Amino acid sequence: MENRLEMRGMTKRYGDFTANDNVSFTLKEGEVHAIVGENGAGKTTLMRMLYGMEQPTAGEIAVNGKPVVFRGPEDAIRHGIGMVHQHFMLFPDFTVAENIVIGYEPQSKGLFQRKEAASAVRSLSERYRIPINENAKVSSCSVGEQQRVEILKVLYQGADIIVLDEPTAVLTPLEVKELLQTIRHLAESGKSVILITHKLQEVMEVADRVTVLRGGRVTGTVSRSETNADDLARMMVGRELQQLTDRVRLEGKPLLRVQGLNVREKQTLVDDVTFSVHHGEIVGIAGVSGNGQSELLEALTGLRAVSEGKVYLGEKDVTGQSVAAIREAGLAHIPEDRYLWGTAKRESVEENALMGYQRKPEYMRRGVVLRSKFRRVVEEWVERFAIKTGSLHLKEQAGNLSGGNLQKLIVARELGQNTPLLIAAEPTRGVDIGAMEYIHQALLEKRNNGDGILLVSSELTEILALSDRILVMYKGRIAGELTRSEATEEKISVLMAGGSVYGSSQAAM
Amino acid sequence: MAAVKQLCKSLVQPLLAVIIGLLTGALVIAAVGESIIGTYQEMWKGAFGSFYFLTSTLARATPIMLIGLGLSLAFRAGVFNLGAEGQMVTGAISATLVALYLPAPGFVKMVAALVTGVLAGGLWSLFAGYLEARFRIQLLISSLLLNYVAVLFAGYLVSEPFQDKTGSAAMAQTPMLEKSVWLPKLFAGMSVHAGFLFALAAALLIFFVIRYTPFGYEVKMLGQNPFFSRYGGVNRVRVMLTGMFFSGGLAGLAGTVEVLGSHYRYVEGALTLPNFAWTGLMATLLANSHPIGVVFTSLLLAALQTGAMGVERNTDVPLELASVIQAVLILFISAKFSYDWWKNRNNKRRESHGAV
Repeated sequence: MENRLEMRGMTKRYGDFTANDNVSFTLKEGEVHAIVGENGAGKTTLMRMLYGMEQPTAGEIAVNGKPVVFRGPEDAIRHGIGMVHQHFMLFPDFTVAENIVIGYEPQSKGLFQRKEAASAVRSLSERYRIPINENAKVSSCSVGEQQRVEILKVLYQGADIIVLDEPTAVLTPLEVKELLQTIRHLAESGKSVILITHKLQEVMEVADRVTVLRGGRVTGTVSRSETNADDLARMMVGRELQQLTDRVRLEGKPLLRVQGLNVREKQTLVDDVTFSVHHGEIVGIAGVSGNGQSELLEALTGLRAVSEGKVYLGEKDVTGQSVAAIREAGLAHIPEDRYLWGTAKRESVEENALMGYQRKPEYMRRGVVLRSKFRRVVEEWVERFAIKTGSLHLKEQAGNLSGGNLQKLIVARELGQNTPLLIAAEPTRGVDIGAMEYIHQALLEKRNNGDGILLVSSELTEILALSDRILVMYKGRIAGELTRSEATEEKISVLMAGGSVYGSSQAAM
Repeated sequence: MAAVKQLCKSLVQPLLAVIIGLLTGALVIAAVGESIIGTYQEMWKGAFGSFYFLTSTLARATPIMLIGLGLSLAFRAGVFNLGAEGQMVTGAISATLVALYLPAPGFVKMVAALVTGVLAGGLWSLFAGYLEARFRIQLLISSLLLNYVAVLFAGYLVSEPFQDKTGSAAMAQTPMLEKSVWLPKLFAGMSVHAGFLFALAAALLIFFVIRYTPFGYEVKMLGQNPFFSRYGGVNRVRVMLTGMFFSGGLAGLAGTVEVLGSHYRYVEGALTLPNFAWTGLMATLLANSHPIGVVFTSLLLAALQTGAMGVERNTDVPLELASVIQAVLILFISAKFSYDWWKNRNNKRRESHGAV
């Protein structure tokens, strides 16, 4: 059978840097072809060239056997290529139908035909079995529904090749299931799907073939039946994965105690949350992003006002204290958003490392920061965590580090504080497998040393791999608590979606 | 090597701005019908042509530099202090009154006047900072509006209660200060005074503080990313208020040394008409808030002004030539700001979409 899409010898160079090196890729009719690879492996560049957003340095693209050149996304759309971006581009105040037909509205005598639009969307949704309510406003739709709107939009535009860019990152586990089903339906009805992801389980569930990229090159294209998740991971990383160290059983004293914590700002963001973290324990907070986890952490770390309730760190009441005071009391914090909270991108690696240490007596003499003494410490971190800093080393701008290396720097900085409690929020979001191993290992070692960690993550695998106890947050509340032994992906998924687990001891009232 | 490269890179933009400014000036000169080369030669002579002119340029650069340095500290912290003029005037009038009426020996009076100038300018500036910290009144606006309050109030003081009534013409000015409180001139008969040394010392001090002290680090990081600073435990309000105080204090010192070093009395308009404050702002922006850079950019801008006076004396090209060149510089600076902003925005976009 003829290939619907062929990309041959795609190469993209930015100056000295080769983002894509002779990448070839084919896509058949009715096929789901996953592209996997770590950050910086070249997935984005390849897709940007396919969608006409970048011009290839070399290589050619053929659609249905005919060579094409895309000068912009419009060209790509005209040739039946549709892209569903990771961040949706929808008008919240318009209805679902209006968002789908936008740019290609059914018209009569220059007037927009609202009814026709709705019925066209209706039939499209039935044909591909993508359930939506075409008259609902987008602002009232869930994230999963919004994603379906985006998919219908590219179908409406006549796409035969649908590119899904990390589509499951923002979804609940149940929504992920639905999406994977939708992808299968699309393929069965003759559409071709390119799935860009780093979640190998999803790949194994839905893809027909998988192309693995590493360092801008293809390390292999395999069909799903001939591979498994471990093989794919090896192909992505280029080596065997390490096993995490065993966890020592520790029965520690309570370290962080949160009692009846409320955060309100117009509406209730954190609703009567009570829990504790003990020495030698990792407590994981699972939940779909936006269910109060960020606000909870900000309240605990002093970045946000506590409306009601108490927070004790050790014996000390730290409710409503300043950030500096809480840090002083024994808290370090890997922030959720490393660019917003965790770094100053235009400052050097060294300056970024100094944050939180600038007033420590051991690095100060007569009011002057002892730069050279501190620099030696940073050198140690760089070595221990294998942080690739670039040509200027510690003087390199932090913004020039890759996401994974920057995250390792942040992790090193916060671990270096040697505090009894560490708050780790999305510690491996958007970092590659190598960096993830480092970070997980470091967290586990800290736990085994008798320190407490509060881990917040929207990745269930991370929560399950690290936590001794798991709390699930839903709409600002703790919806349930599970021990390590009783926790399963299914049970957590149900709680994350607002359900309750039968037999769970402390489900929300 | 890399550091040198970095420095050169940071110099390219101001130099380019100056060159384009001079080219635009050339158009103006051509329009007036004078020789371009000849006019710029006159300008060079007017600014640096003799020891006298050179020292006049240094004298003119003194308040610009002090104000620019103060602003560079505030801008580094991400605090947009636009109140340098009011802070300068507040410092100057307070220092003048102390120098006139404090019953103490001359030298003590001089030191007291200097300290008063710094404190008064600093407190006036702190007031705007307090309004933001306490009532969330935008500092950009409050500091700008407080200029009018300060300048007009000082104008009232010298035209009513503290006016010099001894002269025949009733000018809006205070009586003359006694000689013992005058700041010494650096060279006999030349206009540059000890205030210039204060400015150089302040530049070194600010450079040192930003580079080596925890406070300087916090100022810098607050300006780079306020969220990151808060996360790291930096007390934003304290850093902002401290920054505002010293920023205003240096502006106050600028006004004070003008009074004690050149006018020897507070004369209504003598500080505001030469636009010291706004030129200082420009010096800071042109130097990208680098304290050592401010030394050079304020010399440059002062030279442009004294040079233009030379041009006016000796050719038909009017004094406004300097304003034209300055206007182009401002355009360039704002273009750079918009460009940076634009680039940042695009980068942010790319990041949020490119997380594949």
